[in-house]
Amino acid sequence: MKISKLWLATLLGAQLAFKSLAADNADTNRDSDIEALKQQVNALSQEVEALENQHAAEQPAATDAGNDQIQALDQQVRILARERELDQDAAAEAAKTQPKLQVGSNGFIASSADSNFVFRLDGVIQVDSRSFFNDSANKNANDGFLLRRVRPIFQGTLYRDFDFKFTPDFAPSSGPTIFDAYGNYRYEPWLQLRSGKFKTPEGLEQLQEDVNISFNERSLVTDLVPNRDVGLQLWGDIKGGVLSYASGIFNGVGDAQNSSNAAFENEVEFAGRLFTQPFKSSDIAPLQGLGFGVAGTSQNGTSNLKDLPSTTGGTLAGYTTDGQQQFFAYNPINRTVNASGEHWRLSPQGYYYYGPFSLMGEYAISDQGVSSTTVGLPHNKTDYADLQNTAWEISGGWVLTGENASFNGVTPLHPFSPHNGEWGAFQVVARYEELDIDNAAFPVFANPGTSASAAQAWSAGLNWYLNKNIRLNASFSHTTFTGGGGVGTTAPAIVTRQPENVFFTRIQLAF
Amino acid sequence: MRTFLKILITASLAVSTGAKEIKLLNVSYDPTRELYTEYNAAFAKYWQAKTGDTLTVSQSHGGSGKQAQSVINGLEADVVTLALAYDIDAISSQAKLLPADWQKRLPNNSTPYTSTIVFLVRKGNPKGIKDWDDVVRKGVSVVVPNPKTSGGARWAYLAAYAYALENNNHDDAAARDFITKLYKNVPVLDSGARGSTVTFAQRGIGDVLLAWENEAHLVLKEFGADNFEIVTPPLSILAEPPVAVVDKNAKRHHTTEVANEYLKYLYSDEGQEIAAKNFYRPRNEAIAAKYADNFSQLKLVTVDQEFGGWAKAQQTHFADGGVFDQIFQPQN
Repeated sequence: MKISKLWLATLLGAQLAFKSLAADNADTNRDSDIEALKQQVNALSQEVEALENQHAAEQPAATDAGNDQIQALDQQVRILARERELDQDAAAEAAKTQPKLQVGSNGFIASSADSNFVFRLDGVIQVDSRSFFNDSANKNANDGFLLRRVRPIFQGTLYRDFDFKFTPDFAPSSGPTIFDAYGNYRYEPWLQLRSGKFKTPEGLEQLQEDVNISFNERSLVTDLVPNRDVGLQLWGDIKGGVLSYASGIFNGVGDAQNSSNAAFENEVEFAGRLFTQPFKSSDIAPLQGLGFGVAGTSQNGTSNLKDLPSTTGGTLAGYTTDGQQQFFAYNPINRTVNASGEHWRLSPQGYYYYGPFSLMGEYAISDQGVSSTTVGLPHNKTDYADLQNTAWEISGGWVLTGENASFNGVTPLHPFSPHNGEWGAFQVVARYEELDIDNAAFPVFANPGTSASAAQAWSAGLNWYLNKNIRLNASFSHTTFTGGGGVGTTAPAIVTRQPENVFFTRIQLAF
Repeated sequence: MRTFLKILITASLAVSTGAKEIKLLNVSYDPTRELYTEYNAAFAKYWQAKTGDTLTVSQSHGGSGKQAQSVINGLEADVVTLALAYDIDAISSQAKLLPADWQKRLPNNSTPYTSTIVFLVRKGNPKGIKDWDDVVRKGVSVVVPNPKTSGGARWAYLAAYAYALENNNHDDAAARDFITKLYKNVPVLDSGARGSTVTFAQRGIGDVLLAWENEAHLVLKEFGADNFEIVTPPLSILAEPPVAVVDKNAKRHHTTEVANEYLKYLYSDEGQEIAAKNFYRPRNEAIAAKYADNFSQLKLVTVDQEFGGWAKAQQTHFADGGVFDQIFQPQN
């Protein structure tokens, strides 16, 4: 209303002023008219000014009230925003206390919110085929498909520092066998104590996870080192694995043997291993994957079960070829062989990984004290010897698709997905290996007519990593023998009679 | 060869005994981040000079009550430096990680520094807040954390309650009415003191923040004295944040010696200077005099005087179903 008045007065004033100017030349009394008009304009001006002042006086009050309202609303908005923020923080905090469950390429993992308790289910299934060529002596006796490993793996952590692992294998025809069953106390990564059944810290190739070995079977070197054993081991990784050590006491087990779950005998085996990756933490990329070390065992034993690879010729585990056929046994004619005296092993070892390239080498000595006693003679005669068997291998690989090779396997950059034109990773691998039996073993401790005194083999293969969990292998292995090959219808005679040529395939599912 | 093998096995064993690291975890309350960042560096230097060992002290901060609960639930603190004795008592009684008489092990009831609760207002003090009565006025928005989780909030609550008792001839009903009005003015309850600082200073909520004295000074330092002012009420409470070694954790970590020394060093001249510089009231009188300008004079009442000790105060006011639960109703 007041604004309207203001406009009205202004308009009226303007009209009057215009009229007075128009009459300027015509009206003789213009001076008095002008004066009157001036007064009128002045009066209107004063009224306008008064109205302006009144309006100005009312404006701050209105502004203050509006500002208060705006500020109150602003505070409400800020409070709501802050409450939302706090709710989100609370939700995030609450989530931290919830157990975590993961299912993925690393298996099934359940853990407490603080990760102090972890349970993990992994598994390995390996379906192999072996096809032997030119094996006329035992044709069709050794070809076929087999379940090489069927292992659910239960592992985890209790109270943050206590780890456990349990690995049975359902593949052996003799029935389920325990491979790993141990507890591990982790004071720090560099100081850990493990107890139970696990791999003796000796062979490099043997210590590599089964799912990551380059070929279907490990090389002849692994014939001379222990597999799993029951014992106690102090071990650790210093500076993130720049230096690793392991030192343990075990029941003791023969070469390549997986121990039984109990051995109530006085003799024990000591084992130690030092391995370094000196450049692992350095900036020198080409050397980061270099690792080398040495390992050894020592045992004073007279137990054939614990010391010898096998007590007689035949199908028992012993020194076997890549095709897992026995080519050597302590099988002298009319004699029995027993472990007698010290059994020690030594294994310098190393590997080198750089980009797609991989190289591994290992040498092993297994020095075995043995005795051999005549059978069936009026006066038994016993001979003693200290037999030193040796083996070495060198293997290499190249990942054709460019992924990095490592001791822990290959992870494809582009998992198999034909719809997207992705095929996984391909790796070619090759290996040469030899095993040499001490000449003193023949004929008193082994039959030179059936057991070979040496074996030499080469292998080549292709590994196809479809993804992190599925891998297909195909490889060929050719083994020749020195000695053996005589009369007989069982191994080692039928094995050493001709070179072994075997084609392997594998479908591996590991998660 | 046998000798070589023996050397190898022995060397494997010997390697295991070489490495050593010293780490400490200090679980503390919300506003001590800056204090212990400075103190940890000073103590590590002192410890290295004394022993040659390199020490790394990790810090964990949060509402004092929440922090205590975390330690009870397994957070492996070597030392705790919390807002109030009750929280360390809880660690002792519930988790048995340290003896019940832990407070006797260091001078001044194991409280190397003290503090109090002050008002932080916006520049110019637009709401004219000068005393506790102004804080409960209608239309004044008050920011303070949740006393269920925050030690500082419990001190603030008790400071207000003590003021009401002092001004009402210790009439508990009047004091309860006063504290009810105060919490009606609280729009947001953070879980810790640092959260409330964020609410007030960064999010621009509220007219006054009931703050630790050191936290209020930190806000001036961080956000500028041209944005905020500290108002010291004539009466507040003597806040005594204690410290203690968590014996069982320290023993397990083999850090008992360094943990004890870590806390003792808080009473040293250097420790007291660092506390004073961070606006904690030092126990050392000479250093307190040196930094007198940092601290306003006011009447300070104690929990023992007004509330009969922390155990009783906790049970009466902050336990489930206590006075706070009865008087506080969330606004939204």
